[in-house]
Amino acid sequence: MASQLVWLIFLLPFLSFAVISLVVRPFLNGSARLSGYIAIAAIGGSLALSLLVLQEVIRAPGHELLIPRVTWVVIGTTELDLGLLVDSLTAVMLVVVSGVSLLVQIYSQGYMHGDAGYSRYFAFMSLFTGSMLGLVMADNLLQLFVFWEGVGLCSYLLIGFWFHRPSAANAAKKAFIVTRAGDFGLLVAILALYASSQAGTLNIKELHLLAETGALGGTFLTWAAIGIFAGAAGKSAQFPLHTWLPDAMEGPTPVSSLIHAATMVAAGVFLVARMFPLFEHSSQALATVAVIGAFTAIFAATMGLVAPDIKRVIAYSTISQLGYMMLGLGMGSVAAGIFHLFNHAFFKCLLFLGAGSVNHATGTFDMRQMGGLRRRMPWTFFTFVIASLSLAGIWPLSGFWSKDEILAVAFQGNFILFLLALATVFMTAFYSFRVIFLTFAGSYRGGASAGAGHGSQGDGHGAPSLHESPAVMVVPMVALSVMAIISGWFNLGGEFSGFLGEKAHPLGFFGALANPLALLSLGVAVAGIVAAYGVYGARWVSAEGLGRAFAPLYNVFIHKYWLDELYETVFVRWFLYTFIFGLMELFDTYIVDGLVNGAASLALGGGRALRRLQTGQLQAYGMAIFLGVLALGLIMVLIR
Amino acid sequence: MTVGLQHYLVLSAVLFSIGFYGAISKRNAVVILMSLEIMLNAVNITLVALSRYVTPVAMTGQVFAIFVMTVAAAEAALGLAIIIAIYRSRETVDVEKIDLMKW
Repeated sequence: MASQLVWLIFLLPFLSFAVISLVVRPFLNGSARLSGYIAIAAIGGSLALSLLVLQEVIRAPGHELLIPRVTWVVIGTTELDLGLLVDSLTAVMLVVVSGVSLLVQIYSQGYMHGDAGYSRYFAFMSLFTGSMLGLVMADNLLQLFVFWEGVGLCSYLLIGFWFHRPSAANAAKKAFIVTRAGDFGLLVAILALYASSQAGTLNIKELHLLAETGALGGTFLTWAAIGIFAGAAGKSAQFPLHTWLPDAMEGPTPVSSLIHAATMVAAGVFLVARMFPLFEHSSQALATVAVIGAFTAIFAATMGLVAPDIKRVIAYSTISQLGYMMLGLGMGSVAAGIFHLFNHAFFKCLLFLGAGSVNHATGTFDMRQMGGLRRRMPWTFFTFVIASLSLAGIWPLSGFWSKDEILAVAFQGNFILFLLALATVFMTAFYSFRVIFLTFAGSYRGGASAGAGHGSQGDGHGAPSLHESPAVMVVPMVALSVMAIISGWFNLGGEFSGFLGEKAHPLGFFGALANPLALLSLGVAVAGIVAAYGVYGARWVSAEGLGRAFAPLYNVFIHKYWLDELYETVFVRWFLYTFIFGLMELFDTYIVDGLVNGAASLALGGGRALRRLQTGQLQAYGMAIFLGVLALGLIMVLIR
Repeated sequence: MTVGLQHYLVLSAVLFSIGFYGAISKRNAVVILMSLEIMLNAVNITLVALSRYVTPVAMTGQVFAIFVMTVAAAEAALGLAIIIAIYRSRETVDVEKIDLMKW
């Protein structure tokens, strides 16, 4: 396969972005549907090429393709190259990103139908996918950072897609600024690696080698790894930088789907996996990743238990699942983390598309106004249940296999983190089925018309009429539900782990049911589902009663631990407004204004003093001229 | 005693100094104008003397002196006109009292 074709994988979506935004939008806006077809054709091409690359990588010795590097910039003796690093990790990510993105864009054709920003939407989606594909293929940190920021920019543009809505504009800003806090760590780490005598290179493979030989080590390596992890935590919404993700629900639902499954949040996990040799050789850095991951998993799950908005429940679930992936990575297993990323991409994408489909019918995201959709939307219901079962980790769906692997590595690593993860399994199963019972079971509670003024807005689908979504939306959901069932089976014999270069302990399809650890997690998950049925299905206990009984906990969860308020007060008001802006005001008043006024008064005072010389006395001037000539003459004589 | 270049130069220097002294110290604008004429003529003497003794063939110095005299005549005419104009408006030709051109 020619190396030019590999470059095309991420250049095709960029090309589609350019064509849509430079040709279709300005000149052919009457036929906006064209932009959807262009975007889908481009990403379809990327998917086809990605599959080819995957096949080649599987065949290649050492699971790596060598692509010639291209010189980018030469500054003095510093030469910056562009290159592609195509190994097993890249190949897996390429297929996930382009596959999920293709399905989401097909679905968007139905979901965004008739939106005024139809062309703009597909232009941004192309750019988003292209940036993510470029990110996973980058072979040096600088190139990676460029695409990393491209992904951040596109998430801003897409979360704030309906920018006329103040909440959407604010959510976009928040996503951009909060992730920027993490990016700062990443940038510092990149610069430090480049400047230090220990590393001095940004090439990822060279960095791996330096870490493995021990040339790069000690405290410096730990801090560099933690800086990289800070960037990853921002993008992957790990505590304490997770607050942007629930708010990011303001974007169109397919965007949330793409952000949560394949592009934005996967970037953080990918980055840690990509730089894993650096983490591997610093136990503190690895422990940081594991602890933050495990804590985020359970922390986000608690908030998911009570959220009334279907998209927010799924968003908290994403944060929680990302915590799992980080836990897997932190426990030293890239394969476990990436395998969960792989499976999660399909079922989480499906959950969001399901939520979008529900919104398409009811016009709201508030589950208190839903109910009874099972008979009206059988396909959505069916696929949503599959995705939820997979998310809950029920045998033999995909989520079971990867979650079980993470639990297994956590069990070997640290018992406390394992218990946290196990508790999260229960909560995950509970909130997943809480959504199902509230949305699809019981009787219909009125949709958007009942929810007017409840703050939970729909995606502009106007007057709702209960109906199943069109085929263009249902078909991608069915395709994803197939993946949500089978994607876990790729590692039945340890093939997936082996491909990523790790030894696996395969359980086998039925063997898993004989493994005590797997049975334990399965039992916990089933218990969660039964508990959800008890509260929201059969109503053995009323949900309101539970909320009152555990009022303090309920308040903490529903208010998201008051973290938004805390950040607002501490960082925005105190730090930004009072401290930074206060300092700037002082600087402006005393330094900038001082300089300007000082220059003016210097000129004024100087003028006042010097004008005394102008006496108007003709003869004084004459004398001065004479003395001046005399002085010049003297100087001439003396110099000669 | 033969009169040589030095004698002319000394004469010129003496005349120039007298003129300068007058121009700086006298208050009457007409006297200042006269002193200026003396200074110009002192320069003329130098020009002619140097021309005669240093480059006797080329008559540059003499020609230059003629120019100076022309300019001096024009200058005297202008100067006197200005002085008369000032006298008409301010009724004085005392330069210490003509000091409006200042801050």
